[in-house]
Amino acid sequence: MLTIFYQTLDDKKPKWQLDRSLIGSNPGLGFRPMPPESNVESTLVWYRASDAANTFYWRDQLDQFLKPYLKQRSPEGPFIECEPGISPETGSNKVCDVKVDEWYPCVHGHGFNFNSSEGGPCIFLKLNKIFGWLPEYYNSSSVPDIMPIHLKDHIKTIEDKHGANSNKLKVVWVSCEGENPADIENIGSIIYRPTFGFDGQYFPFINTDEYLSPLIAVYFEKPARGVLINIECKAWASNIFHDRLERRGSVHFELMIDY
Amino acid sequence: MMRKSSIIRTSSEAGTSVTYIKTLVKTRTPTELDQFKKEISIDDHIISLKKLQERYNTDLQDGLSRVKAGELLRLYGPNCLISSATKSRWLVLAEFLFGGFAALLWVGAALSTIGYLVSYYQDPRTPLDQLYLAGVLVAVILITGIFGYYQEAANTSIMESFKKLVPKFATVIREGNMLTIPAEELVIGDVVEIQGGDCVPADIRIIKSRSLKVDNSSITGESEMQPRSPECTDTNPLETQNLAFYSTNVIEGAGTGVVIATGDNTLIGHIAGLTSGIEPEEMPIKKELKYFIKLITALAIFIGATFFVISIALGYDFFESFIFLIAIIVANVPEGLLVTLTACLTLTARRMSKKNCLVKNLQAIETLGSTSVICSDKTGTLTQNRMTVSHMFYNDTIVDVLDESDKVNRNAEFKNLCRVGILCNRAEFKPEQEKIPILQREVKGDASESAVLKCMEILIGDVMTQRNQMTKICEIPFNSTNKYQVSIHHLQNENKHLLVMKGAPERIIDRCTTYALNGSDVNISSEKKKALQQAVSKLGYMGERVLGFADLMLSKDKFPVGFKFNTDKVNFPLEGLRFVGLMSMIDPPRPNVPNAVEKCRSAGIRVIMVTGDHPITAVAIAKKVGILSSESETIYDVAMKKSISVSKVTAEDKARCSARVITGADLREMSQSKLDSILMTFWEIVFARTSPQQKLKIVESLQRLGYIVAVTGDGVNDSPALKKADIGVAMGISGSDVSKEAADMILLDDNFATIVTGIEEGRLIFDNLKKSIFYVLTSNVPEIIPFILFVTINIPQALSVLAILLVDVGTDLWPAISLAYEKPEADIMSRMPRDPQQDKLVNTRLMSLAYCQIGFIQTCAGYVTWFFVMAQHGFFYDRLIGIRKEWDDPFTNDLADSYGQEWTYEERKILERKGYAAYFLAIVVTQICDAFIVKTRRLSVVQQGMSNWVLNTGILFVIFVAGVILYSPGVNQAMQFERVEWYTFVPSLPFGLFIIIYDEYRRYFVRNYPNGWFARETYY
Repeated sequence: MLTIFYQTLDDKKPKWQLDRSLIGSNPGLGFRPMPPESNVESTLVWYRASDAANTFYWRDQLDQFLKPYLKQRSPEGPFIECEPGISPETGSNKVCDVKVDEWYPCVHGHGFNFNSSEGGPCIFLKLNKIFGWLPEYYNSSSVPDIMPIHLKDHIKTIEDKHGANSNKLKVVWVSCEGENPADIENIGSIIYRPTFGFDGQYFPFINTDEYLSPLIAVYFEKPARGVLINIECKAWASNIFHDRLERRGSVHFELMIDY
Repeated sequence: MMRKSSIIRTSSEAGTSVTYIKTLVKTRTPTELDQFKKEISIDDHIISLKKLQERYNTDLQDGLSRVKAGELLRLYGPNCLISSATKSRWLVLAEFLFGGFAALLWVGAALSTIGYLVSYYQDPRTPLDQLYLAGVLVAVILITGIFGYYQEAANTSIMESFKKLVPKFATVIREGNMLTIPAEELVIGDVVEIQGGDCVPADIRIIKSRSLKVDNSSITGESEMQPRSPECTDTNPLETQNLAFYSTNVIEGAGTGVVIATGDNTLIGHIAGLTSGIEPEEMPIKKELKYFIKLITALAIFIGATFFVISIALGYDFFESFIFLIAIIVANVPEGLLVTLTACLTLTARRMSKKNCLVKNLQAIETLGSTSVICSDKTGTLTQNRMTVSHMFYNDTIVDVLDESDKVNRNAEFKNLCRVGILCNRAEFKPEQEKIPILQREVKGDASESAVLKCMEILIGDVMTQRNQMTKICEIPFNSTNKYQVSIHHLQNENKHLLVMKGAPERIIDRCTTYALNGSDVNISSEKKKALQQAVSKLGYMGERVLGFADLMLSKDKFPVGFKFNTDKVNFPLEGLRFVGLMSMIDPPRPNVPNAVEKCRSAGIRVIMVTGDHPITAVAIAKKVGILSSESETIYDVAMKKSISVSKVTAEDKARCSARVITGADLREMSQSKLDSILMTFWEIVFARTSPQQKLKIVESLQRLGYIVAVTGDGVNDSPALKKADIGVAMGISGSDVSKEAADMILLDDNFATIVTGIEEGRLIFDNLKKSIFYVLTSNVPEIIPFILFVTINIPQALSVLAILLVDVGTDLWPAISLAYEKPEADIMSRMPRDPQQDKLVNTRLMSLAYCQIGFIQTCAGYVTWFFVMAQHGFFYDRLIGIRKEWDDPFTNDLADSYGQEWTYEERKILERKGYAAYFLAIVVTQICDAFIVKTRRLSVVQQGMSNWVLNTGILFVIFVAGVILYSPGVNQAMQFERVEWYTFVPSLPFGLFIIIYDEYRRYFVRNYPNGWFARETYY
């Protein structure tokens, strides 16, 4: 009986998409590595930097997560290098490559910086895949007031350099900040790899085989140690609304590094 | 043992300032109650007055001394009725709130609260669903409990109705002075004065009477006036004229009496104590519910425990498994069932009250349906309670004037008889009744005179004018020593005087020398006399009260116009009269009673007559209404055939009798086991001349034999039997307040046939309750399974607790209740009463059909619909299985579906709610189909038809409600639903059709192979 009704559905395309689907058109933001399940429903990334065994869990989590990204590339494969902001032709079965091995220090070889005696870890951010979703990008005139200044400046700079219609502006910008004044103080400087956002060429997701979600590695250069830091990261596009309670468009986690 | 009492200080004129303790409530031991059950056996009415005076140490002239009275009062306590300690109102309320089904619901509510608390302890963000459930359960308990309590609350006031009967004050003679004191302060030996309008203040022996007449209706229910005099006329204290009982009314005259019993020891005290002390039999439906609770609890615990083990084995920790256990048990509780039951019974009660059958206790309706014996009164219930002339005897022939009045031979003899009937009669129609049929008109006068008057009005017409034409000159009224009544009339036409006489036939015949026969007056030879006497006894054997009539034309010479007739010193002849005929009368059966008795017969219900009346009358009526079938023979038939007296019937003949007539005297000497065996051997039994205590004995005996007994009664003295019976039936018109309080049901028209209507309704509701319960239980399965699958194969919840509640106390309710309106599938009055041991309200067949078959199909419908909706949004079943942990983890913000889309927690929860809506819709659809199949247990729905418009409307209502719940904004959010596409119900349709077709087939086999597998295993 069920099979009969399943006949009405497509294998590749969901019956309901975007706003007609319950998933909507406001993607959620996710982070990796996630705390272990035993640590019930928590978002705390807590480790002892000096203890390699202690950080193994986190590194291993990232290794597992990044595995699909590190597959052997072959020329016949679907992966292509994409120009910023330009997605592969529809129906081409090609997907834009995500080169996670080039984001030092956020690489396996460097332990994603979890064991650094001075610096903080790399936390990877990803935007939830929604079939057919396209971001509506900001330009310097449309950026909202609440956007962090460094992003506004960055957008302005690119606009000045490449013009207002540049594909380089086709980015879902990302920012991470401490939630409270103390957190802002403790968080230290942050470096985003490879750029300040998810590049436009990765959108839309149309369930192409081997599609890789764009990632951003957020490298905390020198966070305070021995204290808990509340961090909130946000994705910026004019069709992304932030709702901390429903965890849409933003993600919250805590970081705590012991000596 | 005293429970409640108050200390009273007297302040009356009797003024001995006695202090005594007044017991208000008393717990009576079974032995005390047994004492009450015995008939009063006293000799206070037999012994001489002198002895009486000695026994009670009193003075018949001057009464007791004040001091002595004070002492006695202190010693024996006050003269008042004391309630037997019964359950207090609070206890009754508590029983409604915590007993039986409510207990099950309380356990459910407690478990859900515990479940919530445990979950809360583990995770404070636990949704409140479990608490909602507990809240709904408590609400259901409270609403139905309080409703039931109010239904029954009236029943607890029985003692109040007794207390209304007794007088407040009494006139007493003490130390030679007449005083008015509170009746409570009367003591044994007091000499009291009573007069018309008073209420007898204690049991008294009459020592002086001035045409004293009392009305014993407060005790016997028979409202005929009875004379009271100092003579002992019968050894039976209830029959003798020299006793008057506490609480009876003095109608006319005045008298003096000595108190021989007070308070509890009086006749009414016995009855009151007994009535309030009797614990009524447990209602069969309560037993049924207990059995059902056992069944469902066992099932719930079985599933719960199995599941507990499974979840432990699956690796859940103890707490989680425990929460699952609780959830499963609670899910098994049919929340809506109690409401459904109460509503079904209430609706039936309303329907019955329209048919003159007022049910005081809802559960009694079903009891009525299981009734296997009816012990019925005769007068007023089986009969019209209206004496009517049924036969006339004149010119040597007996003529039936009741059924064949048009065939009456109107010869001269007939006219003679009628003339006497018209003239020798003091009864008169009350004015302004011209438009009412003659038989129903109200008459001033005693029962037999009214009967003659009505008969004459029907046969001759215009009785009053004829009386006016023949003016009454003088009369001697009827009295119990003469047993006749005479009057003399002036005939204007002939200018002569006519003497007319009416009375006990033997006495009349003795006074006659001639007999009007074939147009002339013949002398009464001894043979003729014998023949006349035989006519009298022939009518007597028909159970009729016979009156003889005679007349005498007085000669003009001896009694000219203006002659002064003297009735004190009789100066006219009272013998040597002319015999003109006989009239015999009977209280005829109500017209629809024979039919109703026949119905009972075919329904396997025994009808036993229990009457205080004379056995011959009882037998006659029993034959007329069919309680004794025409072919059966009693010793009275034998005696009549052989023209011998009953006592002379040989043992041989007695043994041949197929029906039994048992008199109160027989019963008194009968042992319990003997009575039991007679009740078992003889199907047709008439109890005559029985006392109320014996009625109780008969009821108890029948109950011992396993019968479910309905008893009718109207008098106060019937109330113990009414209360003891499984179903006590009081009379709405003639019944006393006390009997109405003691009964479970009141016949507003006093008609036996109404009981049968009630039984029919009771049987129907039993059948229909099965259907309601089946309907309610079926949806339990699709409600439980999602939870089981949630835990075992780790798929997301397909149905919320709130949705379960919506079905159980929402959409299921109306259809379930409307099944009470389903018409019977066959003639329910042609089958035997249900056997309470075998035919249960809810049995395993019903449970297995509801759970394992129909419920299972509904679950499939629910899941197919659910999987379909989930797939439409990207989650195919292979993705859903095993997903539970991540699905329900609020911090998993990117759970991928079958298309690779990633869902945040909130988005998933919205989808989950849409799933609930889909599954809910599937339940609603399949429950509608279920409604089509539960309409009948045996017939095809095509045979039964869809004429139950309450159900049809209910189905439309369910569709409407489901629409509102799912589609109106706000409402659906509050109910944790998400709007679904209109066609979402489609996947459940094939299953719904399958349910209908499958069950049609099942019932086809049940119908056509009554001994086949389907009938044995699935006919509920």
